[in-house]
Amino acid sequence: MIPAPFDYTRPTTVEDAVTALRAGGAGAKVIAGGQSLVRMLQRRLVRPTLLVDVGCLSRMREVVEEPDHLVIGATTTQHELLHDARVRAHAPLLSLVARHVGDPAVRHRGTLGGSVAHADPAGDPPAAVLALDGEIIVEGPRGERVIPSAEFFVGPFRTALEPDELLVGVRVPKMGEGWTVHYEKFRLSAQKPTLLGVAVMVRRVGDCFTDAHIALANSGSTPVRATAVEVALVGADVTEEAVTKAADLLDGTMEPFARQGVSQAYLAHLARVLTRRAVVAALSW
Amino acid sequence: MTGFEVRVNGRTHDDAPRPGQCLRTYLRGHGWFGVKKGCDAGDCGACTVHVDGTPVHSCLYPALRADGKQVTTVEGLATDGELHPVQEQFLAAQGFQCGFCTAGFLITAAALDDEGRADLPRALKGNLCRCTGYRAIEDAITGVKHVEEPADGEAVGRNLGAPAGPQVVTGTARYTFDVDVPGLLHIKLVRSPHAHARITGIDTAAALAVPGVRVVLTHEDAPQRLYSSAQHEIVEDDPCDTRVFDDVVRHVGQRVAAVVGETEAAAEAGARLVRVDYEVLPAVTDAHAAMRPGAPVVHDKDPVEARIARPADNVLAELHDEFGDFAAGLAEADAVYRGTFRTPRAQHAALETHGALAWFDAETGRLTVRTSTQTPFLTRRSLCALFDLPESDLRVVAGRVGGGFGGKQEMLVEDVVVLAALRLREPVKLELTRSEQFSGSTTRHPFTVEVEVGAKADGTLTALRVHVVSDTGAYGNHGPGVLFHSCGESIAAYRCPNKRTDAYAVYTHNVPSGAYRGYGLGQVIFAVESALDELAHRLGIDPLLLRERSAVRDGDPLTTASGAEEDLLIGSYGLDQCLDVVRAARAEPVGPVPGGWLVGDGAALSMIATAPPRGHFGEARLRLLADGTFELSVGTAEFGNGSTTVHRQLAASALGVATSRVSIRQSDTDLVRHDTGAFGSTGVVIAGTAVLRAAEAMVGALLGAAAERSGVDVSRCALVGRGVDCGGRVVPFSELAAGEPLTTTGHCDGTPRSVAFNVHWFRLAVDPGTGEVRVLRSVHAADAGQVLNPMQCRGQVEGGVAQGFGAAVAEHVDTGADGAVTTAAFRQYHVPTFADVPRTEVHFADVTDPLGPLGAKSMSESPFNPVAPAYANALRAATGVRFTDLPLTRDRVWLGLSRD
Ligand SMILES: Cc1cc2nc3c(=O)[nH]c(=O)nc-3n(C[C@H](O)[C@H](O)[C@H](O)COP(=O)(O)OP(=O)(O)OC[C@H]3O[C@@H](n4cnc5c(N)ncnc54)[C@H](O)[C@@H]3O)c2cc1C
Ligand code: FES
Ligand code: FES
Repeated sequence: MIPAPFDYTRPTTVEDAVTALRAGGAGAKVIAGGQSLVRMLQRRLVRPTLLVDVGCLSRMREVVEEPDHLVIGATTTQHELLHDARVRAHAPLLSLVARHVGDPAVRHRGTLGGSVAHADPAGDPPAAVLALDGEIIVEGPRGERVIPSAEFFVGPFRTALEPDELLVGVRVPKMGEGWTVHYEKFRLSAQKPTLLGVAVMVRRVGDCFTDAHIALANSGSTPVRATAVEVALVGADVTEEAVTKAADLLDGTMEPFARQGVSQAYLAHLARVLTRRAVVAALSW
Repeated sequence: MTGFEVRVNGRTHDDAPRPGQCLRTYLRGHGWFGVKKGCDAGDCGACTVHVDGTPVHSCLYPALRADGKQVTTVEGLATDGELHPVQEQFLAAQGFQCGFCTAGFLITAAALDDEGRADLPRALKGNLCRCTGYRAIEDAITGVKHVEEPADGEAVGRNLGAPAGPQVVTGTARYTFDVDVPGLLHIKLVRSPHAHARITGIDTAAALAVPGVRVVLTHEDAPQRLYSSAQHEIVEDDPCDTRVFDDVVRHVGQRVAAVVGETEAAAEAGARLVRVDYEVLPAVTDAHAAMRPGAPVVHDKDPVEARIARPADNVLAELHDEFGDFAAGLAEADAVYRGTFRTPRAQHAALETHGALAWFDAETGRLTVRTSTQTPFLTRRSLCALFDLPESDLRVVAGRVGGGFGGKQEMLVEDVVVLAALRLREPVKLELTRSEQFSGSTTRHPFTVEVEVGAKADGTLTALRVHVVSDTGAYGNHGPGVLFHSCGESIAAYRCPNKRTDAYAVYTHNVPSGAYRGYGLGQVIFAVESALDELAHRLGIDPLLLRERSAVRDGDPLTTASGAEEDLLIGSYGLDQCLDVVRAARAEPVGPVPGGWLVGDGAALSMIATAPPRGHFGEARLRLLADGTFELSVGTAEFGNGSTTVHRQLAASALGVATSRVSIRQSDTDLVRHDTGAFGSTGVVIAGTAVLRAAEAMVGALLGAAAERSGVDVSRCALVGRGVDCGGRVVPFSELAAGEPLTTTGHCDGTPRSVAFNVHWFRLAVDPGTGEVRVLRSVHAADAGQVLNPMQCRGQVEGGVAQGFGAAVAEHVDTGADGAVTTAAFRQYHVPTFADVPRTEVHFADVTDPLGPLGAKSMSESPFNPVAPAYANALRAATGVRFTDLPLTRDRVWLGLSRD
């Protein structure tokens, strides 16, 4: 199928990109890796009149180390997330999750910013960014704004981004002492989209959990935090029983956007089993 | 856009892409035909190319972005005439069958780093192969070699490489669409949004106003004549219920009109603007409901003219037969099992979609149709009948075909291109998209099978009954054939004095079903093999023992519920050897199993006739060329199954020459007399016999000619590699070629027929927490008679097992309440990837069949058939749960376990 016709521009600065988006109005759309957008164009699910290619904006391609944070440029590819030494050292959850995205060709093109802006409820990177309490850095005609990830994802394929705003980067805290991470991805078969994903970061001191961040992919219309499980884990002993007890608090009322034909009972059960397994796996990370 | 420039394989292209054009179509537009389309959605990897050294799916890559970049396609992998190492490796391991996926695999493999090589399942996730089952691809990437180069005349039984191998790995093999026809027009189809409706009007004005749109063809332009899209030797095997474009639509996705444009974009824009008015009619999408009184009638036609058994009841065909006395047999039984089994709609998912081109020869005025088909001759016959053309005015030819699996034993596009070509007298092309392939081609017939089986305490069967309902969809193509075949060898495989069959092929307003690997057998075998296994459990007998006791033995008659088929017999018998293989595998210790997982094993067997009933014609011709080599022409098509390789082996062996001295032409109605084509597993047994006969005749002709030339008595003449030894003097073939032209033909009519056997065995581990299942071991034993090319035969088995595995665990075409296909992309349908398919150990029985060429039997459809029941039987052993509905997805397995 052939996309509807559109104009194409390839700005070289963030300012020019924002200006182009603004000028293009409602018909303007950013293209990053194109791994989700081109399919939507071909099937005419979106029909932009102008594509703003952000592939040449060097500022958005950088990974910048701050004292306690890492700022990852929006056009950092999933391949780079997987291999960049700073990401691996300071935000290993993002490297782990990138490993699970698509295939090598997709990872060479697809970007972190694209995954986050696309906001597929079954997307893997959004769940990781949410578990990390990442912040989304945005540039628009009104200047820069920083949106906490908890406020960024507002619905299936919907975010707090305005049409004339550009996602320029994602800021995540550097992983501190005692933290370990895991991403558990479950699919009905290898090429199917994520049926359920669990991003886990836990911190233990001695035999006790002191912190837990858990976010689920494809458990609602956005990635969601498993708050009840997190609360139950903090202060709990590091034992399989305690983890099971905490994971069983998931209430099973999730309403995934893409159900893939499976029953609610199965999803609810999977969420508990996989959350338990993800926490246990994080402990042995 | 100014100054666009891209380097492709060292060559510069500087014409700017069209807005929105992806790199894939840009590259193909510049003649880089090695770049293939399997999906245009990033799912299959057939379009993979390197951009500045990194692999990308070119269908998801905006062409504009290639500005200033270096692109490498498969055609650019070789440097200075030296193949790239991965190309050498794919040749040496024969890491392909149809080869449509190969360019993508080569490009991905060429860019693998150590991490990728260490984790192939993950690294190859973006590349689909429907033919091989991936083992051959793994061998290619890891450098295992299989291809041999045997001495002259010793090709049979050896691992000869496919003749097209060098073209496949360099991207120069020419598939259907890989031709540059000047002035080609493009067709896009308008399809029905309704399950059942009468067309009350079509307004084409807006479409015709689109610049570049040449014509819109509707039911008013189509012949009134009815036909079937199914292609069979005997036309009357299928109902007459289809029109090129009909004024009644009977399923969502049915063709309504064709828009012909100067570009694909113009045709597509036009297709969007065709306005169709429909009077929506009531529809029925459930086969059981369709048979109830008062159900909407799908085909209100005359039963005799249309060849429909009971049109008013939506029954296309039915079968009611009894052999012995079923009720009495049941009464005698010590244990009875009764169960209902369901198999879903499935898609062939050949990587090359359907499509065809048609053009007129400027000088002769003859029409050529180039199409992705399994049956060039039958398609020509159908087209000629439909459009009143003499056969001499039409040539049907296939390029290399990118997979078929039954789906291309069907005329789904050729009628449209011919209609358009006849109207416009210009070259035209129609290439289906992947989503049209799902919603507008054909599927495997969904079956509901009720089985009732009784046995004595020792496992001797006393009664076997099946009740089958097959959903043939909106059209009856292959409906009767699939139904009759489904109740054939599946029932005849067991000795049981009392058998009964009641079977119905039913019309519904669903996407039509069609021929699919196994041709109905797999559906009923799933039910029968599951039922026998369950019966064994209930009797407390080893399920394998029950099979050994009750399966047919050498010398037994083959009886279905309708009695014995006249020309079908056990020509040779290797089932006992196959069962022994499984018994031995089963006795070996279980390897490591993850903690808490359940383990079990199970087997299933299947039998298949080595050719379809009532005549299947193979035709071959051999010609001695001036240079002393031979040209072999075969009528049948090759679509990845490797029959061409075997034909060359058979001819070279009979002639005592090196295989390189036999060139092959095929799949072209201009080459030989009528040939039925490639279906019903006939490539080796029937076409191969024809080849062998042509070669044997050639041997006689060569000896005769040499005797005459040398004056030496023919009894003292013998073939010696490149010529004939006539009492000490060698007359070279090239010298013989200078005399009378030597041409011989070979013919086979496909009767009598033998049977082949397959037994599959799985050992599985099941995670009760999630329903995930891991295959610990997969063993397949096949009775293929004499194996003419072990490497290829193994490939056929592995490919069949992989497809059977997909059907067992993952694949299902879903439809909405209105019958519309809701899984119209690979991402929703899911063809197994490298990571999903287990490696299978393949064993061959040592058997020689007196009926097949040099003792061979068929082995193309059959490996598929026992896979799903073996899997379900192993699951039963592991979990205690009898699963009756395919596919056995993780959620279903978990539900089954948690219900217990
Ligand atoms: C075969 C295949 C398999 C895949 N498998 C997975 C998987 O397993 N898990 C997974 O999570 N994803 C998967 N994906 C999706 C993939 O990860 C996409 O790359 C990702 O969702 C989008 O990133 P992109 O850079 O390609 O964005 P694009 O496709 O270019 O854009 C996506 C959307 O985000 C917007 N956008 C992009 N960048 C910005 C920006 N900087 N500012 C504002 N808006 C922006 C675009 O306008 C568009 O609406 C798969 C895709 C394919 C083709
Ligand atoms: S055609 Fe590009 S991935 Fe299938
Ligand atoms: S050989 Fe891979 S799809 Fe045919």
